[in-house]
Amino acid sequence: MKLAVIGLFSFIGMAGVFAQELKEKQKSEQKEISGLENNRKEKLSAPMKTEEELPLDDRGKYIYYEVVSRKGKTKEELIKAAKRYFKSDSSPKISLVEKDSLYTGKGKLIINKSAFLLTRPSGEVRYQLYLDFKEGKYRFWLTDFSFIPYQRDRYGNFVPTTAIGIPLEQKPGKLNAVEWASYLKATAKEAQVFAANLKQGMLAGTAIIQPAAKAIPVQSTKNQKW
Amino acid sequence: MKLKSIFTTASLSFASFSYAQEAPLQISGSVDTYYKYDFSKQPNIGTSFGSDQNSISLGMIDLALKKTTGKASFVGELSFGPRGQYQSLINGDGTDDNSFHIQNLYAAYAFTDKFTVTAGYMGTFIGYEVISPTGNYNYSTSYLFTSGPFQNAGVKGSYAFSSKVSLMLGLFNDWNVYKDLNGVSHVGGQLTVSPVEGWTAYLNVLSGKSAGAVGTGTILDLTTAYQVTEKVKLGLNAADYTVTHDGGGYTGAALYAQNAFSTAFSLGLRGEYFNWKGTGEDSDEHITALTLSANVKSGGLTFIPEVRFDDGSTPMFVNKNLNPSKNASQFSLAVVYAF
Repeated sequence: MKLAVIGLFSFIGMAGVFAQELKEKQKSEQKEISGLENNRKEKLSAPMKTEEELPLDDRGKYIYYEVVSRKGKTKEELIKAAKRYFKSDSSPKISLVEKDSLYTGKGKLIINKSAFLLTRPSGEVRYQLYLDFKEGKYRFWLTDFSFIPYQRDRYGNFVPTTAIGIPLEQKPGKLNAVEWASYLKATAKEAQVFAANLKQGMLAGTAIIQPAAKAIPVQSTKNQKW
Repeated sequence: MKLKSIFTTASLSFASFSYAQEAPLQISGSVDTYYKYDFSKQPNIGTSFGSDQNSISLGMIDLALKKTTGKASFVGELSFGPRGQYQSLINGDGTDDNSFHIQNLYAAYAFTDKFTVTAGYMGTFIGYEVISPTGNYNYSTSYLFTSGPFQNAGVKGSYAFSSKVSLMLGLFNDWNVYKDLNGVSHVGGQLTVSPVEGWTAYLNVLSGKSAGAVGTGTILDLTTAYQVTEKVKLGLNAADYTVTHDGGGYTGAALYAQNAFSTAFSLGLRGEYFNWKGTGEDSDEHITALTLSANVKSGGLTFIPEVRFDDGSTPMFVNKNLNPSKNASQFSLAVVYAF
């Protein structure tokens, strides 16, 4: 009988402890949920990261736009530097055409699918490049992006499936929405790489300077003090 | 602790391997499967692949590797399954203890931006359609494709005169063989012309005497495609194959028209006329085939529902009662995934 009473009290006590723990757990979970909600609200109110997706221009077309200051450089020097850069081997194959003091050209960005160490091209994004020069500064923008999917040809090489691209602004429909979103992100990333290379090339005035190879250390055996 | 050191070692190995890679190894491929129903309840239409009647059957799994290091590159493409073995490769069914799976195996070296030499076993340069289902719009294939070469082993040099004109010349084995029993016996060439953006035409020739053949076979082939608008694409394949000393051959033409209604849905029609040249006392026989296919795409996946009607000059098919018939028709649904 004694044992039964002790057992009953113990059970009630343990149940109380469990109930208390459960309450505290629920409270902490509620705290976590409200914390997450607050974080989500903060994220939603924060400005969109421009490096993840390209902004739209006033025509409703995706655009990558940048103004670069080059104090001390004349307009002519900047034009020469740009021409030199686009003639160099390491630059994209773009032939610049001057039109009303604006330089234009057509190029393409290769979009790769990557997983672990493997990669393969899934398509190309063609674009129109605009370059504009003034004393001590220049600006450039890429726009009129259109996507051309690649497919493997009979020799196992990836080649364009068509010659006319699909504008990136076009809505892909539900079936291809995820794929299309990845193309948009990849385009933004490749446009940034293009911009970085162009700015580097313009700084050098020629092609991108590759870092010099590290000299191999020489170990002499002629030293007698060993 | 032990696990941590293993992980660190693996990470370092991974990092050093990544660093050592000049350009990443490309791995790509496809898988395909299909269902076909011939309305005469017999597997009537004898073009390549998609041959099984009222069965959910396999195409193939295709795996391709490509690596480029500087001016040198290689491609190795292996296929497993009916489409990629006994339906497209000699000895692919293993009946002679020899089971090959190779669709492409070659190395290339670009001596200059304009001149490249390639040697090995390559997909043929003849014709419009290919073995890989990802390279064709229609799932069933044309008579021109089935009758022409699939692969050519050999050595070829390609020279680009400009972005619009290039020429390939090469020495090749007999069609579709890994080794030539009567020596390197074929010579071939391809003139590529791209007059305007979106339009490319290939003029092909391949000539030679195959082992055991009665005469020299020469195939002349025109393959061209034109992207008329963003949505509309036209293609044409016309070919003539003649074997001397009354060895037969064929003549044919296929017209391809496709319209993309959206990025996910398109329709394509193939119309083909094909003539088998008679030998000896036998007269020519011809066939007209019409194939309507849809392509529904979602990412790497493509569904290809298709109907096909073939009409022969002679009773070359059978009907439901197994009586000879000039006509055959079929429905198929294929699923192709490219990666």
